[in-house]
Amino acid sequence: MSRQTSSFSAEFNEINQEIVLSGRMRPRSVQEIASVINMVRRSLAESGSTAYVNVKRLTHMNMTAFRCLAEVLKSACEQKPQRMIVVVTSSVIAWSAPLFQTLASTQPNLSVEIYDSAFYPGQTFVEDESFIPILRTQTKMTWRHEREILPRHGLRDGLTIADICCGIGDFATLIKRQFNPTRLVALDHSKKSLEYARRVAAEFGLNSIEYTYGDASQMLLADNQFDFVTCRHSLQIFDRPDVLLRELYRICKPGGRVYITNEKNSHCLGEPHSETIRWTYEQVAKLFSHFDMDVEMGPKSRRLLNDAGFDAIKVESFMVTNLDGDPQDFADVIEAWETVYAGQMAVRRGDTPDFIRRFRQGFKDHVLAALHPKGYAGWPIWAASGRKPY
Amino acid sequence: MIMTGQHISAKPGALKNMAALALDVGLFISEFRLCDTIAEYLADLLAQSHEDPARCANFSSLLINEIIELAFRSAIPVGRIDFNLLRNEALVRASVAFSYDRNNRAAWSSFDRSADSSGQHPAHHLMMLAQAIGVSLDIEIDGDDRVTLIADFLPREAVR
Repeated sequence: MSRQTSSFSAEFNEINQEIVLSGRMRPRSVQEIASVINMVRRSLAESGSTAYVNVKRLTHMNMTAFRCLAEVLKSACEQKPQRMIVVVTSSVIAWSAPLFQTLASTQPNLSVEIYDSAFYPGQTFVEDESFIPILRTQTKMTWRHEREILPRHGLRDGLTIADICCGIGDFATLIKRQFNPTRLVALDHSKKSLEYARRVAAEFGLNSIEYTYGDASQMLLADNQFDFVTCRHSLQIFDRPDVLLRELYRICKPGGRVYITNEKNSHCLGEPHSETIRWTYEQVAKLFSHFDMDVEMGPKSRRLLNDAGFDAIKVESFMVTNLDGDPQDFADVIEAWETVYAGQMAVRRGDTPDFIRRFRQGFKDHVLAALHPKGYAGWPIWAASGRKPY
Repeated sequence: MIMTGQHISAKPGALKNMAALALDVGLFISEFRLCDTIAEYLADLLAQSHEDPARCANFSSLLINEIIELAFRSAIPVGRIDFNLLRNEALVRASVAFSYDRNNRAAWSSFDRSADSSGQHPAHHLMMLAQAIGVSLDIEIDGDDRVTLIADFLPREAVR
């Protein structure tokens, strides 16, 4: 286990009036964090009627750092009594809110808010409980391919594995049964999904999976812990995939591999009605882009892994189709996509009823292609992995 | 998130040894980084049977690290420092024992459980932290100017 006692960053976003502190702050003395404290002091002095101090990703702190920060916040509160300072915490870090609350209780213009949303742009869409059955079906469809692909990327029996952004934990359950890891940690930021995951694992008698509630971009897992780290269909819904990849790299052992899967939605296809299907999925890519998500990421996997410092990169693609299993499964997934993409995301973007009607038609045609006795429907996925250098 | 905010009393007889680590104090106080390293190590052990080990370890390491940092600042470079974890069905107890400078005996002996105490006690800030996060903290002093700092964690209640 190697972790630096102090490895943190501090940024001030003038537009949001937000100071963001993240990482580990366990200095021996105040001098070690003087530059950060000065930055906080200056930023608060320049802030308007409400200033935010975001500590959602401040994972470790000692009282040397806390007392120093507390003095700055108190002083700022007293200097501008009309200005509100809001300390933004998350429930991932269990000590954070109660500790900062002790400070807020002494200052009328200081408050603490636990804010568990906005960890990534699509969180409200993805963590919708109604999506759970579809996630299960998706995994069932992709697993037929991935159980063959994963060994080519280095997965074998007896490894220590982390499944980051595990969702409802079905992939972790399959990994546990198929590859019998010595340790398996599954992390997600949806408490509801994790509850579901624990329940399912218990039903299968799989008690050794460590499910953990966490933020994938600032994990509480130590460095160099895992032989194999998976992150499936998730980099594409983060607005900063580089930050997430940095964390995957950090927890992976030297010589271990990080395995990612991503889509290229505009390449979803079907026959008959290939044109309407193609148009709709091109619009899906644009829609996600509007919300700062990149569902065209699949072919970019090699570059992303390379930029993150991995070597021995492997990339392959596979097509989930209506012929893989029960075509109705494929149709169910597409109908769920239509509900979320056309019924929620397009509406939130402010699209016109005419656009949404045309947008929905492509999904309906894709369903028809999937269920048609002579039809063909496909969903392409890129699987890639990179080795963390020794 | 639910924090108990209450002090608890455990029956020491019911506690079983979980882990023990002894270090030469001179070695310990030679490197500040050891505080963090040992805190993380003990917190990881403490959390191993928790439903969510990563978050439980993170929560526990906050206070354990502070206890160890207090030992780092207070221990005299003689003898050894003992780190112990004990457990029963309800709680996990972390303790750190070390010898302090006998010139500070009066200060160490003035332990007042209240976080509103004068602030002169060496463990004043530690007590405030423990109270803030709802962990029971106790201090035992023996006649040989040796102090034991004891934190009792109720992991299931603290981290949900």
